[in-house]
Amino acid sequence: MLFEIIKDALLAAMAAIGFGSISRVPRRSYIWCGLIAALGHSARFLLMDPDVLGMHIVAATGIAAFLIGLMAVFISPVAKTPAEAYLFPALLPMIPGMYAYRSFGGLAMCLLGDTQEKFGVYFYRFAENGFICLAILFTMVICAIVPIFTFRSTAFRATR
Amino acid sequence: MSNSDSHKLSGKRYTSKEVCLFLSDYAVALFGCAATCIRLDRNINRMAAAFGKKVEMFIMPRHIHMTVCQPGEDDTFTYISSVRPAPISFSLNTRLSQLSWHVADDGLSLETARHRFEHMLQCDKETPWVTLTLASLANASFCGIFGGDAIAMLIVLVATAIGFRLKQLMASCHVDGRVIFFVCAFISSVIGASAFILTPDGTPSIAVGTSVLYLVPGIPFLNSFSDLLYRHYICAFSRFTDAVILTACLSLGLCLGMKLMSVGMF
Repeated sequence: MLFEIIKDALLAAMAAIGFGSISRVPRRSYIWCGLIAALGHSARFLLMDPDVLGMHIVAATGIAAFLIGLMAVFISPVAKTPAEAYLFPALLPMIPGMYAYRSFGGLAMCLLGDTQEKFGVYFYRFAENGFICLAILFTMVICAIVPIFTFRSTAFRATR
Repeated sequence: MSNSDSHKLSGKRYTSKEVCLFLSDYAVALFGCAATCIRLDRNINRMAAAFGKKVEMFIMPRHIHMTVCQPGEDDTFTYISSVRPAPISFSLNTRLSQLSWHVADDGLSLETARHRFEHMLQCDKETPWVTLTLASLANASFCGIFGGDAIAMLIVLVATAIGFRLKQLMASCHVDGRVIFFVCAFISSVIGASAFILTPDGTPSIAVGTSVLYLVPGIPFLNSFSDLLYRHYICAFSRFTDAVILTACLSLGLCLGMKLMSVGMF
């Protein structure tokens, strides 16, 4: 399991650095983007692991996103960069891409389906995956932003 | 040292018009590089206080309406400026935020602040090949996170590199963002779908699904929620709508690419 966690953390860090570069995060902050993403993603991995806590993906993502938000707020004064700069790259590895993909696929197949039975099956897939995807997205974003609003004086003085 | 003291240090008193014109330019630049409304509000108020002024702002998705006044005097100026479409840049966001603190803490004169501001706008350039390489590696890592095998990761790397380069070229030709998202998603998904031919027993569906993730408009989504919490509902709704439209263009390109390659969703 340790190997899985390390592999997951490294991939999340690489993804965060790459997406940090797309949103033109200052180069000195790349390392922080990678570190926050690796820790956040590893936290979610552990929270969801059946041998550890076995939490549902929505709750685990919410807790991990909150941790990412906290780390971003308290690292931002050290790195002299706004906390928001770290959020997006660090949260991206937790975006429910496959749920979104399956939901969209279900919708497309609904439109192309020719029988009521097929429509029912694909509509169920669309709704099931779509609801989980939206729940993860809303929970993740709100939980990540809450620390910035809670610790405003720290978050908005980072570039001082 | 208080803000009013630092203003006195600069030794010059500015009219509301001079301050308003600078703050308006600053506001549209900061908003254009994807700053949240709360950051914009704080930075502008910080600098206005340093110049001894009071400011009221009305932030709209395409315009910023600003009124600057001198407390206790009949000196008020209002200006409406258009937000320039600019690439997302946290680097520029950081430097503009630092500038606001320099004005407040070090008592920078308006002329010096303006000079530094113009310099920041000119210096905010990306290094396209570095970004291209890192973005491609990032998307390939995504594929790995979602359970893709090594061949799927390699295919996603190539699909992202080609799609992202196309995005850069189209952006430099000032092509509409929605068209860019559609075309790049189409190209990347066609390349990603080649996994069904090259490695049908591997994880081809993960390769297709992740080949377009580099286009996900995450920052507009995040900023819309931040604005929502700060009760800037119009901006929040506008950013959210922008992000949804871009996601729809992305999905359309992905769907067309999969149709062309005769790849089923399930």
